[in-house]
Amino acid sequence: MNDVMLDLRSDKIIESLKNGTRLDARKVDEYRNVSIELDISKNAEGSAKAKIGETEVIAGVKLSPGKPYPDSPAEGTISLGAELLPMASPLFEQGPPDENATELARVVDRGIRESKCIDFKDLCIREKELVWIAFVDFYVINDDGNLFDCSALASIAALKHTKIPKIEEDAIVKGEFAGKLKVKKTPILTTFAKIANAVVLDPNSAEMHAMDGRFSCASTEDDLFSAFQKGGRASFTAGDIDWCLETSLTKSKDLRKILKE
Amino acid sequence: MVGKKEELVYVDKHGKRLDGRKVDEVRPIKIEVGVLNRAEGSCYMEWGQNKILAAVYGPREALPKHIQNPYKALVNYSYRMASFSVPERKNPKPARREIEISKVCGEALEKAIFLERFPNTTIDVFVEIFDSNAGTRVAALSAASVALVDAGIPMKDMVCACGVGKAGGHIITDLNKEEEDADDAVDIPLAILPKTGEIVLLQMDGLMSKEEWKKCLEMGVKGCMQVYELQKEALKKKYSQIESTAQNNEARTEMVSDEKNSEGEFT
Amino acid sequence: MEKKLVIPGELVSEERKRLGGHVFIENGKIYSDALGIVADEAQAVSVIPLQGRYMPCRGDVVVGIVAQEKFAGFIIDINSFYFSFVSKKEIRESLKVGSIVSAKIFEVNEINEAELGDIRLFTGGEIVSVSPVKVPRVIGKNGSMLDVLKNGTNCNIIVGRNGRIWIKGGNIELFLKAIKKIEDEAHLSNLTNKMTAFMEENKTAAV
Repeated sequence: MNDVMLDLRSDKIIESLKNGTRLDARKVDEYRNVSIELDISKNAEGSAKAKIGETEVIAGVKLSPGKPYPDSPAEGTISLGAELLPMASPLFEQGPPDENATELARVVDRGIRESKCIDFKDLCIREKELVWIAFVDFYVINDDGNLFDCSALASIAALKHTKIPKIEEDAIVKGEFAGKLKVKKTPILTTFAKIANAVVLDPNSAEMHAMDGRFSCASTEDDLFSAFQKGGRASFTAGDIDWCLETSLTKSKDLRKILKE
Repeated sequence: MVGKKEELVYVDKHGKRLDGRKVDEVRPIKIEVGVLNRAEGSCYMEWGQNKILAAVYGPREALPKHIQNPYKALVNYSYRMASFSVPERKNPKPARREIEISKVCGEALEKAIFLERFPNTTIDVFVEIFDSNAGTRVAALSAASVALVDAGIPMKDMVCACGVGKAGGHIITDLNKEEEDADDAVDIPLAILPKTGEIVLLQMDGLMSKEEWKKCLEMGVKGCMQVYELQKEALKKKYSQIESTAQNNEARTEMVSDEKNSEGEFT
Repeated sequence: MEKKLVIPGELVSEERKRLGGHVFIENGKIYSDALGIVADEAQAVSVIPLQGRYMPCRGDVVVGIVAQEKFAGFIIDINSFYFSFVSKKEIRESLKVGSIVSAKIFEVNEINEAELGDIRLFTGGEIVSVSPVKVPRVIGKNGSMLDVLKNGTNCNIIVGRNGRIWIKGGNIELFLKAIKKIEDEAHLSNLTNKMTAFMEENKTAAV
């Protein structure tokens, strides 16, 4: 569906929301069908594909040994990168990550990093000299709306199933592993769209086209939030945000269950 | 199998390779057509350990305007490997290898497409490798060919590709990574148009005699034709319920019907 | 006679016949250029594609959407490779961006750009998208399928050859279900009868 058709849809979406209904018959706080597939790449130390509706993202983790930062000599770190592949949408152009890809990567990163689900001290190999850097690169392969939640889901799923390579004399021993990466919590990112005066969870591509503003929040199983991000030109009322936070805590539990399966 | 290279027997006396295959055996291939809903055509392929996604957009207006060709469509082929598709993390920035592969594979496809029917446009083919173990470019090209058909782009023929080469003194089809690492390895990515056997992609790296090349070509073409059968099967699978019935005529004319006198009334 | 499914490059006929759509001649033999079903008749041979974009054709009626307003005219999206420009002098209706119109294709040039005429504005209603190659099935022989759809849903229906259908009123949900069924089974025979039965079942279900 091209832009012109999406514009037509926008009017219908706004009309429909005045009655609290969405065009695909979902409730305002309902996710589309969510599924996760693990072990996409044998070359990756961890990998996963997440699908929300028709939106699909593949994330892979590669662990590289490196020097620690001088101010944290006994800690490794994670580094997240996003690629909006041109195959994912007629609107994505080939080229280096633009501002959208950058915002996406940083928000997903914050949700995971700030949750302290990974203790960076666990990534230390030899203090002051060698630590693990976990590179998490996620690739959006189909954009049908809500890249944020799908990317975050793929990333945390990949991390939770990451094996740590065996290290001998500062070099990786191919094909041998020394246990799994310890991920103590499961931060889940939930995204809401503001369309006229309504707020809906998990916008599909037509709803993304119609929306004026977006709000995402990440939380862990102990009901603590690790990231907020408001995007778009619209404003949210404090009431909107409260509803989003409440809904986020409830709905993230469902997504966490899917990860456990 | 992790052994010292000098000790590896690439083809044993029973004709078995390191992974158990025969010398002319291609690794298992799985092809799925139409897997992405935004791209106009798409194909997911597994070839041995390789995992590839190909997607097509177009023909669409070529921009900026100055790159447009007034006589035919341009083919923009982009081959990229995900950072985690290789043993040591690859920087997401396009590498020179990827740029070269993109160029020659795009040129391979041009021969198969009716480009002259779509002047001033571009046909974008995006291929991403998510897991690799040698032979990614021929797998990607084969997947791209399927994606083009899925997008409804008129083609003169499919493009089917396969690798062939040498390891441990033996000519073998579809080398895997271990075989490519042999000291005397020769790797030849090859792609043909099956109808005429024309070669549209040919590269070689290694050291080889003309006689060895003759054998490689023979085996390589056989390998390509095997891929062709799988491409055909995958494309037709979606529609395999085609029934053969006496009402076949009625159905056919329904599809080709004279629509000029069957529009709705405009009230 | 079996319905033959072919892919690009596959042989369609070795006889000398007039070339219809989606076939080409090479060395005296006729091949397909698409994934589709062979329509091999006495005088001519063609392949009916199962996938594809809308290729504008003179005489086609299409459903377009006004994408932009320029000083001298409008840019209309007809779901093809290019947008079409229509000069304001040739339009009697008052159009704006987002207006849905029906138009006739007067001319198509060598690069598939379409010249539109007979522009008429739709009021209300909505657009349903269908793959352009399946449109003949939605219309049917002499409009037979279209009749089944109209009678079964009581919708006002205008089918554009470019894969856009304008509908208004009636049982829109049933229409959407019916269109999906036609799209999924477009390559099978006996579709008109199947759809008549489908409409009957759903009529009783709705009541």
